Amino acid sequence: MNVKFLNPFVEAAYEVLRAETGMDIHRGELRLEQGMYVTDDVTVILSLVGAVEGTVFYSMNRKTAVRFASIMMGENLSELDGLAQSGIAEIGNVITGRASMKLSENGYESNISTPSLILGKGASISTLDYPRLVVPLITDGGSVEIHLALREGKRGLKTPQIPIPAAGSVTG
Amino acid sequence: MDVKFLNPFVEAAVEVLKAEIGVNVQRGSLSLHQSALTTDDVTVLIHLVGQVYGVVMYGMNTETGIRFVSQILGQEFTTFDSLAQSGVAELGNVISGRATIKFSQAGYASNISPPTLISGRGVQISTLDFPRIVVPLQTNLGELTVHLALRENRNGKVEEFVALTPAAKGS
Repeated sequence: MNVKFLNPFVEAAYEVLRAETGMDIHRGELRLEQGMYVTDDVTVILSLVGAVEGTVFYSMNRKTAVRFASIMMGENLSELDGLAQSGIAEIGNVITGRASMKLSENGYESNISTPSLILGKGASISTLDYPRLVVPLITDGGSVEIHLALREGKRGLKTPQIPIPAAGSVTG
Repeated sequence: MDVKFLNPFVEAAVEVLKAEIGVNVQRGSLSLHQSALTTDDVTVLIHLVGQVYGVVMYGMNTETGIRFVSQILGQEFTTFDSLAQSGVAELGNVISGRATIKFSQAGYASNISPPTLISGRGVQISTLDFPRIVVPLQTNLGELTVHLALRENRNGKVEEFVALTPAAKGS
């Protein structure tokens, strides 16, 4: 995987987790994995399509997920109910959205998919021939691992583009 | 979910299964689910991005996966190894790709993500507030279940772009 896709995600995750939870965040040691990822309790999975394509997932254990969701929603959740699940998925969505903005500032324009949530320990997720770069982020509320399986899209770096103005939008 | 997104997928799946595996497909009865999907042995997950967006999942058990892949790759598989996994993922990719071509002919442009393969029975995959249409497709080699959680992007009209010519870029 191209390492230049890493920093936008790490920065975005820092900014979002810090703003949403107010916690300090430390980055753990990076690693590159080829094989399957065996899931933790909660995994948020999103795809990127465009000049950068592939899959991103955010994994954490149940306790961390409940804790993050409680802080985000401002109420004391005790279990990973529907509200907590959507809170966690939203964190993944916001981080990925922010990272894709940063990528597009570097000329790699891409769109992100809606998040899907995998609940349950012990399943294996394979990104097939995409190796995964794993970034552990450690916070006071628990740790979140970001898995990036991204590559430059088939269309590569997009050429500079200007949108065609809609008819009738230009007034004298 | 809008039912008009269903048929392109069913047609694409029937065509691809027939062409790649040489099996006839019978459609089982449809159902609509709000809750999370509980996985079968193998699930191929592909996201759609664009005027139709959401997620499509193809579920099957290991034996069906092995039989499908043996047919596609023309060699006998006994275990669901990494080659078999990539064959099954490719099957999902081809069906989804073909379905998006049908969507674009109907005026809905969308792109598909690379496939992700989830192995392991009994975990839950939630599409959150997207309801899922479940279509069982029966073949004589086993059953493939297609889960569609798709929506139309009403306000996100795909912008039309013109590329700047190299000359214009330099000026």
